[in-house]
This record gives sequence, C-alpha cells and structure tokens, in this order.
Amino acid sequence: MIHRRDLLIGAAAFAGASVIRPRQVVAAATVGQPAPAFSLVSSGGGPAVSLADQRGKLVVLEWTNHDCPYVRKHYETQNMQRLQKDATGRGVVWLTVISSAPGTQGHVSAAQANELTKSRGAAPTAVLFDPTGVAGKAYGATVTPHMYVVNKDGVLMYAGAIDDRPTSRRSDVDGAQNYVRAALDAVAAGQPVKTPLTRAYGCTIKYA
Amino acid sequence: MLAGMLRWLPAVVLFSCASFAAPMPAVAEDRKVATQLVAEVAAIRPGEPFWVALHQRITPGWHTYWRNAGDSGEPATLAWRLPNGFTADEIAWPVPERVPVGPAMSFGFTNEVLLPVRITPPADLRPGDRVVLRADASWLVCADICIPEEAPVLLTLPVVAGAPPADARWGPALAAARAALPRTSPWPASFAASAETVTLTVAAPGLRAERIAAVEFFPYAWGPIAHAGAQTLAVSATGLELRMPRGPLPEAVTRPIEGLLVVSERLDSGVARQAFEVRAEPARAAALWPAVAGALGLALLGGLLLNLMPCVLPLLSVKALALLAHADASASTRRHHGLAYTAGVLLAFGAVGGALLALRAGGEQIGWGFHLQSPVFVALLAYVLFAMALALSGVVMIGAGLSAVGSGLAARSGVRGSFFAGGLAAVVATPCTAPFMATALGYAITQPPLVALAVFEALGLGLALPYLLLALAPGRLPVPRPGRWSQRLEQALAFPLYGTVAWLVWVLSQQAGPVGLGACLAGLVLIALAAWLHEATRAARGAWRLTARVVTAASVIVAVGLTQLAPGVPAGRADGRAAGKEVAGERYSATRLAELRAAGTPVFVNVTAAWCITCLVNERVVLRAPAVTEGFARRGVVHLTADWTNRDPEITRMLGSFERNGVPLYVLYPRSGAPTLLPQILTERAVLDVVDRL
Repeated sequence: MIHRRDLLIGAAAFAGASVIRPRQVVAAATVGQPAPAFSLVSSGGGPAVSLADQRGKLVVLEWTNHDCPYVRKHYETQNMQRLQKDATGRGVVWLTVISSAPGTQGHVSAAQANELTKSRGAAPTAVLFDPTGVAGKAYGATVTPHMYVVNKDGVLMYAGAIDDRPTSRRSDVDGAQNYVRAALDAVAAGQPVKTPLTRAYGCTIKYA
Repeated sequence: MLAGMLRWLPAVVLFSCASFAAPMPAVAEDRKVATQLVAEVAAIRPGEPFWVALHQRITPGWHTYWRNAGDSGEPATLAWRLPNGFTADEIAWPVPERVPVGPAMSFGFTNEVLLPVRITPPADLRPGDRVVLRADASWLVCADICIPEEAPVLLTLPVVAGAPPADARWGPALAAARAALPRTSPWPASFAASAETVTLTVAAPGLRAERIAAVEFFPYAWGPIAHAGAQTLAVSATGLELRMPRGPLPEAVTRPIEGLLVVSERLDSGVARQAFEVRAEPARAAALWPAVAGALGLALLGGLLLNLMPCVLPLLSVKALALLAHADASASTRRHHGLAYTAGVLLAFGAVGGALLALRAGGEQIGWGFHLQSPVFVALLAYVLFAMALALSGVVMIGAGLSAVGSGLAARSGVRGSFFAGGLAAVVATPCTAPFMATALGYAITQPPLVALAVFEALGLGLALPYLLLALAPGRLPVPRPGRWSQRLEQALAFPLYGTVAWLVWVLSQQAGPVGLGACLAGLVLIALAAWLHEATRAARGAWRLTARVVTAASVIVAVGLTQLAPGVPAGRADGRAAGKEVAGERYSATRLAELRAAGTPVFVNVTAAWCITCLVNERVVLRAPAVTEGFARRGVVHLTADWTNRDPEITRMLGSFERNGVPLYVLYPRSGAPTLLPQILTERAVLDVVDRL
C-alpha cells in the first residue's frame, strides 16, 4: 500500500506550478495564487497575528492536533521540531494553527498550547487558534498535519503533506522525502517548487 | 476474535517450539478493531494457491480504510513473515463505502470486513506437515478521532496431498467475499473534464434507469475527483454518466482515471451492489473527432461496397443502363436524376436510422436491420424484389417499363422515379452488410444521435455515390451505346435478385415457421400472376382490360394480406442473436421444458435479459465458468436460457408461475419433484451445491 501511495505522490512530484481549481466542498487555497488572508489569536497573547503582517518573510503554516497519531509521529521523532528550528533559524515565520473546535480532540487553551510547545521542545514563531475553522477552510486544510508554504509576496507556493510517507509509523520518518523542506529551499533560492501540491495525510481536522 | 484464536491454539501448542508461542496476539480491551487471520481452506495442497483474509470486526461508529483512503486515513497493511517458498499477493480490496467525516470524505469499511489475500505455497511441501503463516497487520481506525492499531496475526494449516477441504467456519464467508470483489468492467469508459467537474461516461447500453438505485465512483488515486463531492447520475439508452466535482490536482485529468464503479441495482429480492473496475480514458474533443471522422470514412466505404451486394447491384445497374441509354441527354437532366436518386437514398437512410435511434432511446434492444425482425416486412421486401426480378427477366414492364425508363428521362415523373429508386435502393440494401459497415454502425449506436445520424447518412452517401458521379459526369459518357448486350445484361441481373428473394424467404421461414413460409410462397405466386396479367393485357380493351386489372389488383392485395399470416416471433429472441450476444445454453420454451421434464432430465432455467447487469455478470462469471458447465455436464443438466430482453408472454408467464415479474430468475428442476429457486446473485458454489444435490 505504501508502495502505491509513493507512486502517487511521485506522480504528483512532476506537477508544474499550474493553477488549481477551488475545491467544491472545502474551498482550497490555490498554489501560485495569493494565500488566503487570516487574522488569528496567538497563544502568546498580544494582538491578533495576520498573514498580511508577514510580508517580506517566508511563512510556513502547520495545521496541528497534538493528539493525532500522525502529528505525534512527527513530534515524537523530533522531525517537526527540527524542521521548525531550521526554518525559523533562517528567518522563516512558522505559524502552527489549531482548527479543532472547542470540545473536540486537539482543542487546547493558550496555557496548554504554550505548555505543549515547551514540553515538546517545539519552535514555532506562534501558535494560532482558529476555533471557528474559518482559516482552515479557506486553505482547504483537511488533516493534521496539513502544511503550507507562502512566499515573501504572500503567494502560496506549497500545499500538502509534510513528506512522502503517509503512515503513522515513527520508523517511516527516516529516509522520507520532506516536501516542506524542499519547498522552503526552492523558494529561498528563487527556484520553482518541484512538488507544489500533494495529498496531505493524517487525521481529519475536527472542525466546528 | 478470542474464539477464533482459540481454534488455532491447540495446533500452535502441539506443533510449536518456543518460537511459535511468542506472538499470540494480546487483545487490548480498548482495541477498536478485533483482527484475525482466517483461511478459506482447512488445509494446504502443495503448490496450489489458496485464499486467506484479514478479518476485521470494527467497533460501531468507527471505520477502517480502503486502498484509496479518501481525504484522510490510511489503508491496512500486512507485512508477511511467511515460511520459505511462500508468496503472498497484495490485498484484494473489497468494495468500500463512502464514510463522510465533517466536510471530508473517507472511503472505507464499517462493522466487519474481510481483506482477502492469495497465498501461493511451494510445490515441495510434505503432506502431513503443518505450516504457520504470520504477518504484522497494521491499520488506522477512525471515528471523529483516529487510532493506529497493529497486531501480529498467525494461522496454522496442515499440508494434505489431495483436494484441500473448505474451512468450516470461514470457507463460505471468504468465498462469498471473493465473489463480491470488483470485476473488470465489461463496458468501455471515458471521461470529460470541465473547469469544475469530471463527467464519467460508461457505455453500458440498455440499462433501465428505474432499476438503478445508485451509482458511486471510487477513484484509486487522489487528485482527479473531489472525494467529498456529490456524484450526479444520468442513465440513458447508451449508458450512464456520473458527474463529479473536479479534484485538486490539475494534471490528474490529463491521464486515464482508474477506480471502482459501484452499481446498486434493484432486484426483486432487494438491492444488489456490484463493483466494476473501470479505466476511463480522457475524451477530449481532439480525441473524439478522429473517431467520428474514422467512423464516417468507414461508413462511406461500406456504403460504396453496398453497391456490389446482390440486393443492390441489379437495381443500380438498371439505373445506370437507363442513364447510358440516353448518354446524349442534357447534362442538367442527368444531374437532376443523380441528385434525386441521392436524395431518395439519404432520406431513406435518415428514416431508418432515425427510427432505429428513436426506438433505442425508448429502451428497445434493437440493432441495424431491425426491421428485418418483422416477418411482414421481410415478406413485403421479398415481393418487391421478386417483382423487380420479373421485370428484369422481361415478364413485365413496370410503369413505362424498366428498360424504357430512359425514355422518360426528361419527364418529371422520371426524376420522381429516380428519387423512389434511391429510396428502394436504401431499403433493399439494409439486409446486406458490406465490409466496414459493422464497425461504423457499432460505433454509431453508442454515440449521441447527431453523430449516429451522420454515420448513417455517410453510409447512404456511399451507396448513392457511384450513380451520382455517373450522373454528374461532364459531357458524353464514353461507353458503347446500349443494345443487345445491355438487354442480356439486364436479364442476367435478375438472378442476383432471385437469389436475394430466396434468402429472404429462408429468413422468413426461421421467423414465421411453415405457415408463414407457405403464405409467403403463395404470395410470390400471386405476384407472378399479377405481373404476367398486367403485361399480357397491356394492349387489351374494354371489359377484358377491366377484368385483368381487377384480378391483378386482387392478386397483389391477397399476396399482401397473406403476409399477415406470418405469426411474428418475439423480436427479442431474434435480436439477442442478431446482436451477436453469446447466450449460454439452449433457448427456453415451455414445450422444451415439458419435454425434458417428461424424459426425467434435470433442467436449469436461466431467465435473463440484455439490460439486466446482474444477469450478465452472473452469466459471465458463474454460468460460463468451467466448474459450473462441468458440473452441469456431470449431472446431465440441460441449461435453458430464456431471454426476456423484449416482452415475451411465454417467459412472462414462466416468471409469473414463480410469482416474479423480473429477472434474473434461476430455477433448477430435478429429475422429479419440486424445482429449486437459486438466489439472484449467483456464486459458483451456490450453483454447484444445488447441482450436486441432484
């Protein structure tokens, strides 16, 4: 099965950066087009964080749910934290977004979110709350983790999975091809993203 | 789960050393899926592949995933640890359900599922040994939240030398699960993508819209189709169309789309859900037009060749000779004749083709030449061709006389004559099939009406073309003037027509039996009488002439009336064969059934119809399977097929006697005693079980 998925994602890897259609059910953001605007409350307090404020910087969006086995795969192997540290170390803004509705799996208070960041050694620029799901649905985020890369002009450059191993097995982290890292490298170097759109894998987002 | 494992425990304990004892799966209390490895067989025969399955019992409200999990999720995997020489195939995925999760859609399984896997053992196993099959199974199970679960599974089977017995507990269930696996679609499929939608077209002609309860498409891959979108179905005479919202990956619609088409069909006994593996090619306009152009070209060529067929050649030759006889007639006169003839041909082809399409759209299962399924029409056509042949032989001059048609060339009636000659050519051409025609017509009837009509008209144009070109040729025609040679040629040309008449009469004898045949032959004698009378009394005057005219007219009227004696056979019967459909078994009739039963022969009656998917699948997969045909042969069972494609009162009565008014119906009559009804969805095992009890 994994083999078949690999083929699928491999096929997607040859995708050009062409325009995709909005999805009918979850209106998805379109790679190559301006990323949808949002303004969300941060776990760190202070004013709401908006995408528009990040102009001039690369932005990574990471939809998360700390209890989802797929999210845990990448946190318990330090895979996600390593990626966060590498990115923010290069001046990339990393925004972790929680769209779980109140009362559903993954919904946390600001204090719990900060505690999770600390206990897991995570390094996002900010953790944002999207309890109504407005931002998640604007991006067409379906699962956790669902990853997006936005360039300095606010254009969406990558949407999809974190890597090419769509499983919850921790052992699959080693040797996987990390799409987010590849997209960040390409965008930073001013090159086209080789694989701009993949099937995100994980747990469904617990939308309101 | 525990019970299933306990069954194997003694075997494991008996035959295992410490290495076997370790991986007994501990079933955690909070597991959402209880899993075990089960087998269809109770033993293995060396070298003979057998089926096992991962059985999942899923907590209500939770689901596991299909090979394409949908918007989220992950299919189950089996990492095999098999003894040396064993190989395991991939999981043969069963038919999934759509499981909506919030705004997303998952494809998966609920409650209980068997995931079959075929295992091939090595040929050098020793009977008497025991074999342990092990695998690490892992799967994701979700409700609103997801839990990855895994378990080692194992199964111990003895090796035997002979035919392996079925497993008492899992054999039937696994056999049924395998029988329900998706099958390769018997119908060609294509798709067209717009900015918002993907429309899948499956050329499954003759489906009855009211019998289709639902159709779902499950793509194998992420990308071409938005999984969560509503799928809109349209059923027409040419097949079905499923419109789905387009998926996120733009280039996914430039490649073929593969997946499962799951059709739920209403049967008397409930709804049958069957899955077909479909590979749909992209049908862009660019890809469509070469196909249309190709079909038009073939039709034109086929039409040209029709001119050489025995039904058309004499007629055409006479027309051509008439034209030659007046080679010095003005170019415009000749042009009028050529155009009138062409118009006659095209109109007739349009009428026949239009009627065909209209009847098919109305649900009739008919093909080209359908009018020849009417014995009345066949008899009338025989009369017309016979009269033409008599005219060529010189028995009668019809109208101004065929040879004299030329003299009327300039007259209006001559032009009208050419128009009717064109129509007649088209009608007499229909029983003939020229090379290339079948391909073009086969393509035409699966196409939209306009394309289909264009193909019919191309055929007509091909038929009209030689005469049209001759008529349009500029200047004097460089041929010898007609004379004695052309008279002899005309007489000789009568014989292909007599031949065609003989063939039509033979066709009629198949359709209408001895009574119809006798009536038609009597009608032909009357036609000959009318022809002779008409000619013999041409110069007569007064009462003689009147009497002759009355007798002539009466002969023709009686001849036409005689065609009504031909008792029509149900069109469906002739049709099933005409369409080239393979029908398993011998044709059903109540008489034949009574005969066989009186002789104490066991009989299997298969009541089927071309528009019934379940019937076709049963026939294809079960009734024509070697095991079943051998089983019938072994027990001396005669297989009768009752084709209910078109209304047939005899078959309707037969259905009624079983309180049914629908197909499929499968009945096995033993040598004596009450018949056994079989289920509407057949499996080899179900049929063989009943047959073996005879």
